[in-house]
Amino acid sequence: MIHLLSNAIQEGLLNIRVKLGSFLITLLMVSLSFMVFDIFLIISWNLGTVLKNEQENVGIEVFLSDNLTEVEAVNLADIISGMEGVRAVYYVSPQEAEAVFRADLPEQADLLTLLGPQFHLPPSIQISLHPDYRTSEKVGGLARTVSGMDGVEDIVYGKEYLPGLTKAVDILESLVILAGLVLAVSLSLIVANTVRLAVARRALAVQIMSIVGAPGWFVKIPFLGEGLLTGVAGAAGSLLFTVAVSWMLSSSIHHEFLPGKWIMLVLILGASSGAAGSWIGMKSGIPKPRS
Amino acid sequence: MLVTFGNVSRYYNDWPALENINLQVHQGEFLVVSGPSGAGKTTLFRHIWMGDLPSTGAVEVAGYRSDRIRKSDLPFLRRKLGIVFQDFRLLPERTVFDNVALPLQVAGTSPKAIRRRVFSLLAEMELNHRRGSYPHELSGGEQQRVAIARAMVSHPVILLADEPTGNLDPEVSQIVIDLLIEINRSGTAIILATHDPRQVPAGVARFLYLDRGHLVNPNLWDGYRQL
Ligand SMILES: Nc1ncnc2c1ncn2[C@@H]1O[C@H](COP(=O)(O)OP(=O)(O)O)[C@@H](O)[C@H]1O
Ligand SMILES: [Mg+2]
Repeated sequence: MIHLLSNAIQEGLLNIRVKLGSFLITLLMVSLSFMVFDIFLIISWNLGTVLKNEQENVGIEVFLSDNLTEVEAVNLADIISGMEGVRAVYYVSPQEAEAVFRADLPEQADLLTLLGPQFHLPPSIQISLHPDYRTSEKVGGLARTVSGMDGVEDIVYGKEYLPGLTKAVDILESLVILAGLVLAVSLSLIVANTVRLAVARRALAVQIMSIVGAPGWFVKIPFLGEGLLTGVAGAAGSLLFTVAVSWMLSSSIHHEFLPGKWIMLVLILGASSGAAGSWIGMKSGIPKPRS
Repeated sequence: MLVTFGNVSRYYNDWPALENINLQVHQGEFLVVSGPSGAGKTTLFRHIWMGDLPSTGAVEVAGYRSDRIRKSDLPFLRRKLGIVFQDFRLLPERTVFDNVALPLQVAGTSPKAIRRRVFSLLAEMELNHRRGSYPHELSGGEQQRVAIARAMVSHPVILLADEPTGNLDPEVSQIVIDLLIEINRSGTAIILATHDPRQVPAGVARFLYLDRGHLVNPNLWDGYRQL
């Protein structure tokens, strides 16, 4: 059994060695088409990270009226924190608001000094939301409820930004899946074609092996191996190219490379499309015993 | 019984390549099948190694029946057969040694046992000096002897030779036929397809004639006129 398997693998290596040139060209072709997918993945991964951060920041800022005492304000915050969809609330006193203002906008800090001691920023309550509530409808509903409460002067949330945000994330995800599918299909077809050619070129060997008593899998393993290798090596090659491109662009476009899990995904996609391709290629290439 | 054809017919789009064939081949027998081109000789052979199956009737070879055999049994049937073709069908990128070793390699024999068997067989067939050569470096007669060595390497019970001398000149053909007679003497059954049954001495073999897919009585056969 061991001998049989090692013979099958040797046979496969022989196949590849005989036409190393065309194998390398196929590999390059697969790598380049895979690279388009890798770059797409990187863009979507980076945009996804940005959007996720943005989504994380989707919250509601509630400005309170000046004549509300601190105790009343904290009470109000307590009530809000008990409402559905609210993850946390944070009361910002006028003093804290001013400190934040001075820290964030040091150039405008003089403005406050100019306005004199009787002016102060309004107190506010920052509401952060449960992830499920970061959609435009739910935020809108909550905001309406809160704005009707006593002591609430004004309410601010990302009215304009939100609907687009949610949609963008959805579209991006389906685009990645679509691109992955298109790539898997085209890679399978490339591999199917090279395997079909390989089978045709090796028709005599396939026939003789089967006539002298080789099991079906022995005949198939070299071609399956070739497809798998093409897929995995093509995917790995595309990642190398993409790393190079990513490195060259790193100074002009700020971005992160793909995380390990996504790299695995690319390799698995390569392997499975390669295997599927060689299966299709063999189906159409190896003659049926009855023909 | 090594081979039994029970009322076998094989049609290709209604064209009868074989029709109502009844045939038995015994252990150690030498059978010569002749007939003009297109008579169905190759089709008959293909039914023996079950590269093709009957349209009606059944073939039984070394205990495997065509109407019951599973795809996974085919390798085991074929390891009991040795097959030789008119055009040799050696693998061009393999040396003589590796061509002869192929049936053992695909059966999972250990490299050591393969070396032992192939070396002794090549020595026996006086091909040892050619073991590192590639098929294109050999004469036609040598190529066919290598093909016969490949067919014999796993000790088959039957050797099928489909017009093995069709591409060889008369002297070399006689060497190949003599080799087959010698192999048969050591106990292997042989089925030989040939245009010219006169190559084989009358006392050595049983003769059958195929004509347009039918086995015909040798005494009534008028095919000699076409030879
Ligand atoms: N795979 C096939 N498909 C269609 N017709 C075939 C096939 N194989 C053989 N035949 C036909 O069957 C007949 C017998 O062919 P064959 O067995 O090759 O004859 P022989 O070997 O005696 O020359 C011929 O008419 C041939 O055209
Ligand atoms: Mg023929």
